[in-house]
Amino acid sequence: MSYQPMTQFSSRRQQSWSRNQNTVAFISSVKLGPVAHTVLVALMITVLGLIYLTQATRATSYDYESQKIDSQIAELNTKKSDLEVENARLTALETVKNSSVAREMTTASSTQYVRQ
Amino acid sequence: MRLELQKGSRSRILAGLVLVIMAIFVVRLFYLQVLQHDYYVSQADSEQVKRLTIPAKRGLIYALDGSKPVQLVMNETVYTVFADPAITEDESKIIDTIRKVAGGSARADLQDLLDKKESRYQILATKVTRTQAEKIKAERLKGIGFQEESQRVYPEGSLAAQTLGFVDFEGNGKYGVEGALNDRLLGEDGLLQTVTDVSDVPLTIGDRNVKQPAVDGDNVVLSIDRNVQSYAQQALAAGLERTGATNGSVLVMDPQTGKIMAMANLPTYNPAEFNKVEDGALFNNNIISAPYEPGSVIKTLTVSTGIEKGVITPQSTYNNTDYIKVDDRVISNATKGQTGTITIQHALNWSLNTGMVTVAQRLGDGTTITRGARDTMYDYFYNKFGLGQYTGVELDGESSGEVVSPEDAEGNAVRYSNMSFGQGMNVTMIQVASAFSSIINGGNYYKPTVIDGVLAPNGTYEKVTTKPVRSVISKSTSDQVKEMTRVARGAFYSRVDKPGYLIGGKTGTSETIENGRYVDNQTIGSNVGYGGTEEARYVIMVQVSGKDKSLQGARDALPIFTDVSNWMIDYLKLQPRG
Repeated sequence: MSYQPMTQFSSRRQQSWSRNQNTVAFISSVKLGPVAHTVLVALMITVLGLIYLTQATRATSYDYESQKIDSQIAELNTKKSDLEVENARLTALETVKNSSVAREMTTASSTQYVRQ
Repeated sequence: MRLELQKGSRSRILAGLVLVIMAIFVVRLFYLQVLQHDYYVSQADSEQVKRLTIPAKRGLIYALDGSKPVQLVMNETVYTVFADPAITEDESKIIDTIRKVAGGSARADLQDLLDKKESRYQILATKVTRTQAEKIKAERLKGIGFQEESQRVYPEGSLAAQTLGFVDFEGNGKYGVEGALNDRLLGEDGLLQTVTDVSDVPLTIGDRNVKQPAVDGDNVVLSIDRNVQSYAQQALAAGLERTGATNGSVLVMDPQTGKIMAMANLPTYNPAEFNKVEDGALFNNNIISAPYEPGSVIKTLTVSTGIEKGVITPQSTYNNTDYIKVDDRVISNATKGQTGTITIQHALNWSLNTGMVTVAQRLGDGTTITRGARDTMYDYFYNKFGLGQYTGVELDGESSGEVVSPEDAEGNAVRYSNMSFGQGMNVTMIQVASAFSSIINGGNYYKPTVIDGVLAPNGTYEKVTTKPVRSVISKSTSDQVKEMTRVARGAFYSRVDKPGYLIGGKTGTSETIENGRYVDNQTIGSNVGYGGTEEARYVIMVQVSGKDKSLQGARDALPIFTDVSNWMIDYLKLQPRG
């Protein structure tokens, strides 16, 4: 689309123009009718709609990623809890008492203190 | 050229038809979108918007290992394996896999369950661990599903079972700490309201999404020391075997703070298998929930009251004839022969009832237990020492017991003469031990507690400090009674204690009541005492009992006290006095 400036100069006095009024006007040679306007508006709405859909889809894809990470966190927390339970079981007094190491130990004698 | 539809032409009919169809559409859309707007919005919301509960994790319960918190009650994720028999395939593989992986957790009649094709839900295995569930999932068995749930785990088995309590199948804490602190341990479930896709994945679209995170329950650290608890249970078990008693309890507490270090009860149970317990009485913590006539251990409180009120000293004398008359009743000593003029200390050593009745009389006019004497005794026993009322320990199922007031018609001189040596009242072990702690710690009563602190989610340990609730006797009285109990124990049992330490206490043998009458063939043995160096570091109370068993404080309960006391000296690394 091209524009052809039309330079029709007239003196201010001849035209009786006011102060600060533009003296040069650019008028497009291309005329858009009501149908073209409607089409353009429809296109713009379509583009905006597409942009919205793209963003919404992208946000949703982040939701899936977020959900995946949340699931991983939950699974790791479950594993951590299980390990803690296992650790507590292994270090429980009964387990320690019944361990092969403990069986080899002799009974502790009473503590004696030296008087100064 | 002007086009006009001819009347009755096909074009005109078509135009009319289109107009009618359009009108139908418009009316229908108006009906659906305007008139039925709310209905369809709610329908859409119910499909798309999900309200998911974010479950709060039940708080963990810790015990102490010295000064370090260690986990005593934890949470574990377990799975229920279920089948939809209508769609299952290759059932022999399902049965083999579940039997092989789940083992004892699998149901015995797996084939029968899978044959129920009209059913859509059959439980094949329960309480399957995460590792086991993953192994089953890896087999990709069609029609097999998993249901996740959380359950309490007790790494230390039955240690301190009655103190802990358990969590029932509805998730409610019962008995012990679980029952008393249920609200604190429970936490608060969170809420997630969101638009979801068909797989229930939360999406951020929509303007009504709500995410309220769950608040997990408090992680409570008990003052129970697992080493002390374990040894108390071990010593009690050995004591019951030695004496033939069927029931017993041991309480260990710090008299300087009121913190309870151990509460052992036998017989006991495993809280992880509470549903297998046939006798519900096993859930009770007899230390707090079984009031009984404590017997002679109460003599320490009578002596304290007398000294505090200035009517006796340890060396005050009276004439012991082994009998003393109160109104129309004659009260006699269990141990006879210590007749003549003897001191109150001597009466305490020999646990003479007449000596305590004498103290009660001296609280009155010197010869009778007047109303004033009874008011004084009630004030000390009930108001100051806390007998016959709830201590407020953080355990479910505490009983108050009963101390009859002088206001009551039954609160007469005879009853109060009996109360002076521990009969005619119903009190719990924790009440006696707390009262005894107050008379040997300088005279300050501490509310007994099993809470040592709270472990914050970031791992910070916030320790609870205790303060005395009230002053019950003076330091001077406390020192005198402490010495009297040391002498009383030392008079007969000094050789059993480690040398170089201050160990004192009092035994008690209580008669029991069957059908409203005291019976001779069934007595309860008790012993309450302290140990330490310059200041008492622990108070231990022991009780042994059994149906048709004559158990005595000195013979049956005292050795258990001695066993735990000598162990405590080593455990606390107490150095003997120079």
